[in-house]
Amino acid sequence: MRDMLLVRDVLDKQLVDRRGERAGKVDGVVLIFSPDGPPRVGYLEVGAVTLARRLGRRLGSWASRLAHRWGGAHTESYRIPWNLVRAITLEVSVDVDVEETRINVIEDWLRVHVVEHLPGGRE
Amino acid sequence: MSRLIEIALGIVTGIGGFLEAGSLATAAQAGAGFRFELIWAVILGATCLAFLVEMCGRLSAISKHTVPDALRERFGFRFFMVPLVVMQLVMLMVLATELGGVALALQMISGVSYRWWSVPVGLLSWALLWKGTFGLIEKGVSVLGLVTLAFVVGALHLHPPFGEVARGALPRLPAHDGAQYWFLAVSILGASISPYLFFFYSAGAVEDRWDVSHLAINRITAGAGMGFGGIVAVGALVLAGMVFHPAGIKVDSYQQLPLLLTSALGHWGFVLFVASLGIACFGAAQEIAVTSAYLMAQGFGWRWSENLPPAEDARFSLSYTAMTAVACLPVLAGVDVLKLTNISMVVSAASLPVVVLPLLVIMNDRRYLRDYCNGWVANTAVTAIVLLAGVLAVVSFPLLIAGGG
Repeated sequence: MRDMLLVRDVLDKQLVDRRGERAGKVDGVVLIFSPDGPPRVGYLEVGAVTLARRLGRRLGSWASRLAHRWGGAHTESYRIPWNLVRAITLEVSVDVDVEETRINVIEDWLRVHVVEHLPGGRE
Repeated sequence: MSRLIEIALGIVTGIGGFLEAGSLATAAQAGAGFRFELIWAVILGATCLAFLVEMCGRLSAISKHTVPDALRERFGFRFFMVPLVVMQLVMLMVLATELGGVALALQMISGVSYRWWSVPVGLLSWALLWKGTFGLIEKGVSVLGLVTLAFVVGALHLHPPFGEVARGALPRLPAHDGAQYWFLAVSILGASISPYLFFFYSAGAVEDRWDVSHLAINRITAGAGMGFGGIVAVGALVLAGMVFHPAGIKVDSYQQLPLLLTSALGHWGFVLFVASLGIACFGAAQEIAVTSAYLMAQGFGWRWSENLPPAEDARFSLSYTAMTAVACLPVLAGVDVLKLTNISMVVSAASLPVVVLPLLVIMNDRRYLRDYCNGWVANTAVTAIVLLAGVLAVVSFPLLIAGGG
């Protein structure tokens, strides 16, 4: 059993999905506080809004408003439940399929609306 | 046998990839102004680059992580924003310089102003990235880049006084024009120790799936490639020292530079110069554009590979697309490419500590490097050179603004 520090060993690490695909970095770690017990780690967050919040409170709320105007709940940061974490090495492996989440919502939007309209982009 | 080919290709990549707009222009200015006195700066820069390239290859081979990966993971997102923003701005300036270099080469043969070449050059560079693979960019343009060896051939052809050249390899205080001397020294360091080169190299080691067995190749490639590459830049400096310095010519535009090779090799010298400038800058432009995309993708954890079709890594592909498009603009607007080169090289040198010192911390972290951490020689040498370059750069900013460049 080795020590694990949430900020040193989990936050900002590369996320890898069930198939070994890159699925963003761990942009945030969410703790859950409940009245009947100690706080526990609830979720890993992936998304630009979480990153903006880490740079500053005002930037965070601005990013959140912008995200809601453009894509509603689709663009909020995606939460991966802690119990789906499978391994923590230099990377964090999670038992999800990135294609079934909305982690790649911007990637997919850009592919459909930009890349495929450029010559040689549809392959 | 295949390992031998890999080593040979690695060295060729180093030689062919070393010279670009910045190192050529600064070497020519140094030779014109100070004859052989600044050769030491080229050697110091190439040595530091060799250390850094070796480190980045080792990091990727052992940890399977690239430099931007490690910067974000080790220091966190807030810290990562600093090298990210600084590097992107520096790379944008240097990319514009390289596109300008290609455009100027085309102007020299066509007579059509470089401004009108910026968009076609940018489009061609983008199309090769869009359709090509990592190997094509790394090996293809670098092999063509061997044409830059013409500077070594040209220098030897003029029978330089070897004693004096060798003395230039030792740092000395300048006899005259101290401000200009140090300004050129820092420009040369900035041109040689380009962060984009070792970021590109670290991504390449992951693209090519390096592991522990590649460490020997990595060391030879870094040492020999950057070593021979430095010789090309020394060749350009020696040529300028023999052609421009005695005639009292001050380099104030790229259009003067073909004279370096025509005075040694005649008409073929002109052809070789234009080919060298065009190919070297084109290769550098591609590497910078794709490195800018690597930096984004690896910092934010996106899917990335230059070997994937753009539809499979849209954000990555659109990053180098946007970077190339924006970098075309200053050239299209008719910016003075040589001025831009000088400013970019000093800014690049000033940015070195921000990028390299965190890298050194990672290179001593056993979670990434296990038993392959840096030794004290590499740590000391790189820290010293990078701090020197950073301090010189900050000191020379006022000189630059006062018209020292």
